[in-house]
Amino acid sequence: MTASGTTFGSVRRSALREFGSAVWTIMVKELRARMRGRRAFIVLTLYLAVLALITYGVYVVVGPAARAAADQQGGFGLAQANASRLVGQYIFTVLSIFQMIMVAMIAPAFTAGQISLEREKQTLDLLISTPMRPGAIVIGKLLTALAFVILMIVAAIPITAIVLMYGGASVDDIIRQQVLLLAVAVGVGAIGLFSSALMRRTQAATVLTYCIVLSLTLGTAMVFAFWTEVAQQDQTGFVQEREQAPEQLRYLNPMVGMLDIVSRVEVDGPTRFTSSLYELFGRDLASTPVSFACDGIGCEGFGGFDQPMPVPVDAFGQAGRTDYWWPRVAISFLIVAAVLTLASMRLVVPAGMRWALRRGGARRMAAASLGAPMIEELPETER
Amino acid sequence: MMSVPVVETRGLVKRYGDQLAVAGVDLLVGPGEIFGLVGPNGAGKTTTMKILATLLAPTSGEAYVTGIPVDADPIEVRRRIGYMPDFYGVYDDLRVWEYLDFFGRCYGVPSNRRAPMIGELLEIVGLGDRRDAYVESLSRGMRQRLCLAHTLVHDPALLILDEPASGLDPRARVEMREILRELRSMGKTILVSSHILPELAELCTGVAIIDHGRVLRSGSITDIERSLRSNALLRIELIADEAAIAAASDWLATDPRVGDVLRHDGGSGDTARLEVPFDGSADAQAELLRSMIDAGHHVVGFSQATSDLEEIFLRVTGQTDEENAA
Repeated sequence: MTASGTTFGSVRRSALREFGSAVWTIMVKELRARMRGRRAFIVLTLYLAVLALITYGVYVVVGPAARAAADQQGGFGLAQANASRLVGQYIFTVLSIFQMIMVAMIAPAFTAGQISLEREKQTLDLLISTPMRPGAIVIGKLLTALAFVILMIVAAIPITAIVLMYGGASVDDIIRQQVLLLAVAVGVGAIGLFSSALMRRTQAATVLTYCIVLSLTLGTAMVFAFWTEVAQQDQTGFVQEREQAPEQLRYLNPMVGMLDIVSRVEVDGPTRFTSSLYELFGRDLASTPVSFACDGIGCEGFGGFDQPMPVPVDAFGQAGRTDYWWPRVAISFLIVAAVLTLASMRLVVPAGMRWALRRGGARRMAAASLGAPMIEELPETER
Repeated sequence: MMSVPVVETRGLVKRYGDQLAVAGVDLLVGPGEIFGLVGPNGAGKTTTMKILATLLAPTSGEAYVTGIPVDADPIEVRRRIGYMPDFYGVYDDLRVWEYLDFFGRCYGVPSNRRAPMIGELLEIVGLGDRRDAYVESLSRGMRQRLCLAHTLVHDPALLILDEPASGLDPRARVEMREILRELRSMGKTILVSSHILPELAELCTGVAIIDHGRVLRSGSITDIERSLRSNALLRIELIADEAAIAAASDWLATDPRVGDVLRHDGGSGDTARLEVPFDGSADAQAELLRSMIDAGHHVVGFSQATSDLEEIFLRVTGQTDEENAA
């Protein structure tokens, strides 16, 4: 038993190594083509420059107002810390939302052509007639396409970390933001890859991808709002309390996730910048202000108590607030990524050969017992 | 191991909806052979090759590469073949050596073997000086040779080359042929297709002529020629005299070995030519000529229409068209 156990183990390990090296093969090739020359670095630099500029812009706009508010409150100690915190909150909020929009728009652009372009350029046949598993090809393509997006997300950490100087957002908030951005990048990237495997043409794949992404961000938000609106009125037109559309509708909305993270740092309630976003994506996402004091920047759109509050949000600020929306969004996107990647693998294999690839191991045994020449006679586990 | 053919198909059928692309193809290719699949466009060559390259599953029938069934164990088959499709693209944005390195990795060639292998392959296909060039800068013939090199990275037993010379200028065709000859001397088994028989004639050890998804003739080129010679086309030239010609035609028509006689007026006016399909050996032809002269016909010329490969091909594929029409 021990002997057979070790062979099984080593076979599985060698199959895994083979799979890994196939993924790496695809990545090396794609990265060679993609990262060659200065283009990738120029794009990254420009992106970071834009982020830095936005950060500076927020500081210039919000800074004086925050200081003025602090001066009104006495201009010392706590008031000044409060002003600084406000600047930090604003920077974090704007950067997070901007990055989320960028990720949702850029990640599919990188993946939507990955497989359809191989089809269009007639290179796919050469690729799939190699012994590489279709899974390795698809995952290699996804990882390569995402590599640059992930680089963009991670490279922006130092800029986001500026908020730590001001206060308002903590390291935990930045970690939450990063986790969500990465999960959405993987999910949206997989959506692009899937349409690329599904569609013959890159153009069609791109259109399909952006349609899906738009319907996930704006579409689900609108359906949710409309549904809630209808659900809150019964036939008599009386408003019923706490009737909401199924919350699962929002699990695949990256903006819901990001607003959830952002609202955690907005202890004074929604700011002028975010209040309209809460209007669109759900007022219940906004955090309830700790106090009713006007901070001089974002007085209106308190969110507050007149809204139904089905979410376990602590009415008194973030201290006791549980992570509710953003982990659900992140996990949903990872699940979507897994499902769509598996679906793409099937679509890459030429029709009619799918079953054969799966059952190859079993048949190989049969063939070996018939005396067919084998390079390696592997047990059935090698699949 | 010698007994195992490199390629074997039995009753291979591939159906696309109503259309029968391959209708029961039987092939047998032994080790070290260069086997040509010849047939007009749409004859089923590419489909057959794709089935062998594990890119299509056959509707029915069996196909084996070095004894391994292609539909049951495609991954193992892929390790043993190098496949060059009829239409394909190359990754423009890679350098030549990177392109081969990529496919080397795809086939799991260890890194310490890849670098020397790339050098050797580029020498074989005559791209040694293009190692660092971008693929997009290569000419069509060079790309074709690069694609051929990519089929060799894992040192496969069998090469499946679908129209490797299509779209090449004459010079590049000659180069391609030279490379194939070299590969043959290296002991590779090669399955190569073309819609032009002469292109393959001097290269191949065996040929299968395919049309409408069926193998019409299979064997060495001389075998095929011999099998067709028994069904030769005779050109008989006679003095141009209407009565004499009519008499000769009638006389010929009485011979059971003679098919439909066709009259072909010579340009000179002095002679007229009859084209006579004749089912018989060279002896029988001589016999026919003697008895014709004995019968008093004024034969000026008697010859067999030279059967070049082009004609063999046209005749073989033409016969089935007639059969189908019948």
